[in-house]
Amino acid sequence: MSRKSIPYTSSPLLASRTPVWRSKLVVALAAIGFTVLAARAVHIQVLANDFYQRQGEVRFARTLALPANRGRIIDRNGLILASSVPAPSIWAIPEDVPRDNPVALKQLAKLLDMPLPSLQRKLENEDKTFVWLKRQVDESVGKQIEALGLKGIYQRKEYRREHPEGEATAHVVGFTNIEDKGQEGIELAFDADLAGRAGSRRVIKDRLGRVVEGVGEQVPPVDGKDIQLSIDSKIQFFAYQKLRDAVTTNKAKAGSVVVIDAITGEILAMANYPSFSPDDRSGLTGEQLRNRALTDVFEPGSTMKPITVAMALEAGRVKPQTLIETGPGRFSIGGFTIRDTHDYGALTVEGVIQKSSNVGALKIAQKMSPHEMWNTFTALGYGQKPQLQFPGAVTGRLRPWKTWKPVEQATMAYGYGLSASLFQMAHSYTAFAHDGSLIPATIIKSPEPAIGVPVFSAQNAAAIRKMLQMAAGPGGTGQRAQTIGYSVGGKSGTAHKQVGKGYATNKYRAWFTGMAPIDKPRIVVAVMIDEPSAGKYFGGEVAAPVFSETVQQALRLMGVTPDMAVKPQIVTAVEESL
Amino acid sequence: MTRLNLVLLLAVMASALYLVNVQYESRRLFTAMERANSEGRRLDTERDRLQVERRAQATPQRVEKLAREKLQMRPATPAITHYVAYSDASASPATSAADGTARAASGRLP
Repeated sequence: MSRKSIPYTSSPLLASRTPVWRSKLVVALAAIGFTVLAARAVHIQVLANDFYQRQGEVRFARTLALPANRGRIIDRNGLILASSVPAPSIWAIPEDVPRDNPVALKQLAKLLDMPLPSLQRKLENEDKTFVWLKRQVDESVGKQIEALGLKGIYQRKEYRREHPEGEATAHVVGFTNIEDKGQEGIELAFDADLAGRAGSRRVIKDRLGRVVEGVGEQVPPVDGKDIQLSIDSKIQFFAYQKLRDAVTTNKAKAGSVVVIDAITGEILAMANYPSFSPDDRSGLTGEQLRNRALTDVFEPGSTMKPITVAMALEAGRVKPQTLIETGPGRFSIGGFTIRDTHDYGALTVEGVIQKSSNVGALKIAQKMSPHEMWNTFTALGYGQKPQLQFPGAVTGRLRPWKTWKPVEQATMAYGYGLSASLFQMAHSYTAFAHDGSLIPATIIKSPEPAIGVPVFSAQNAAAIRKMLQMAAGPGGTGQRAQTIGYSVGGKSGTAHKQVGKGYATNKYRAWFTGMAPIDKPRIVVAVMIDEPSAGKYFGGEVAAPVFSETVQQALRLMGVTPDMAVKPQIVTAVEESL
Repeated sequence: MTRLNLVLLLAVMASALYLVNVQYESRRLFTAMERANSEGRRLDTERDRLQVERRAQATPQRVEKLAREKLQMRPATPAITHYVAYSDASASPATSAADGTARAASGRLP
């Protein structure tokens, strides 16, 4: 093609007079722009890339919580009292559940143990994306539901507490709620130790939610600690069984038993009736839930007489053989008349305990000042909150000594005018069992001998033990507390129950507190029967037999050799070669 | 010069393939480890559950019921005395206190 083209470089139009600096400026501006971009790129990629990396990671990395196993509760011999077992919870997305398979839905309803209409009602609200169907079912049921293969029904792994011992230890062990937090008993008292701490790990999940890679460090979960109680499950079961039989036989409302080791202060058994099954807590009443040994208070009655005598002995005001005139069997003070069941005439101090004379105890107490009495009661734990790692232990009531009127000082001598729980009564008697020192009680296993606070001298404690043995022997009120082979001692008590401001005429409470063997006591046992209404109501008739059987079995289980000569009742002879 | 480029290109490709292989191996091993871990946890909970079940089989309630009903046992008290005669000539002097006193009282055995 032949065209007349002006060479570019020599076109007169382009031979302009634009100054050179203008083109240089444009170049410079462009260069600056590119430098800024490069610097920004360096800044993002090299210098300050954390923020962007983190943002990117957030898009695909997840933090998984690693749940911690809840610790077990075991008894002093290592037997399981409470342990967690897997119990899946069934949930559903109502929208995804197929409606056209009524057979499968009916099977599901049967497995979940709920009527079909209520299952359908749960599934009918299609707006919800998460509906609990049933929480914490058995693992076998969960497997069967999984085998059904229904769409829209899912399971979440949860744990539930199992209690092999059931009713016998229900009050001590307690229970947890659906979120696995302790609500009562040891489960509550040691919830922090039992729960442990959940761990975490960062992982990368793929689109389907499967874990693909672990990222960074994982914080391992801290499993809950196992709690070992001082309770001996065999003694506990036996005490509960005998208590239950006694309450049923005497048509009583309730009862409690407390067994404390006299050397170490450990609580070997604490049983109450009525009780409940911790695994199935539907339809519980408040009556069943109360740990009566710790929460129910009553006036200790005759249980205080040995304490009154002990403090008089300690202060040197009487000796065990001092004669106390209790005739004519009644005493007037402050407008009230205090009576004995019989006119016992002149009794020794030992006889006051043996015959359980109110007038005798009163006269002994009048040799003491209210301040001294209050000091001894307080030193033995009355009116004080029990130092026990257990929730719900009540303080009882002991009014300050300055507010005592003379008649009140008199009635406190034989146990009226103050109130205490069965545990406090049993605990105060450990002072007599432990050579005059009150030892701290514990619910956690601690096998070393306890070091107590001296309240009485060892000599006076031994004198009181002798009086307790007399009270449980011939001539005393607690003869039915005797066992075969073991020497026992103890004090029975009977009282009208308080109704409103006065006392009910035919509602009684019967109890017995004692220890065995009497020379070197190993255990202190206290039994209380509430409202026996089958004719017999004295402590020596109703509570003492439970004491006797509990002591017999407990000492046999502990391997204590019988210290009394045993008359054989059944004799057999066998030729054996060893 | 092109030979060097070719060699480098082949090296890069080999390295890339090796990287892919290593990544795949690591993912595979990771999933195997995860599976083993969860199997271990499952076995742990299974063992705990079985321990609880074993304990439930041996609770005092159940033991007493079976002892009374199936085995016809009755509780022992110290009042039941059971004499055992040694037919061995070198009888050891160590015997239980109950047997000793009872034997002495009845004069039955040397």
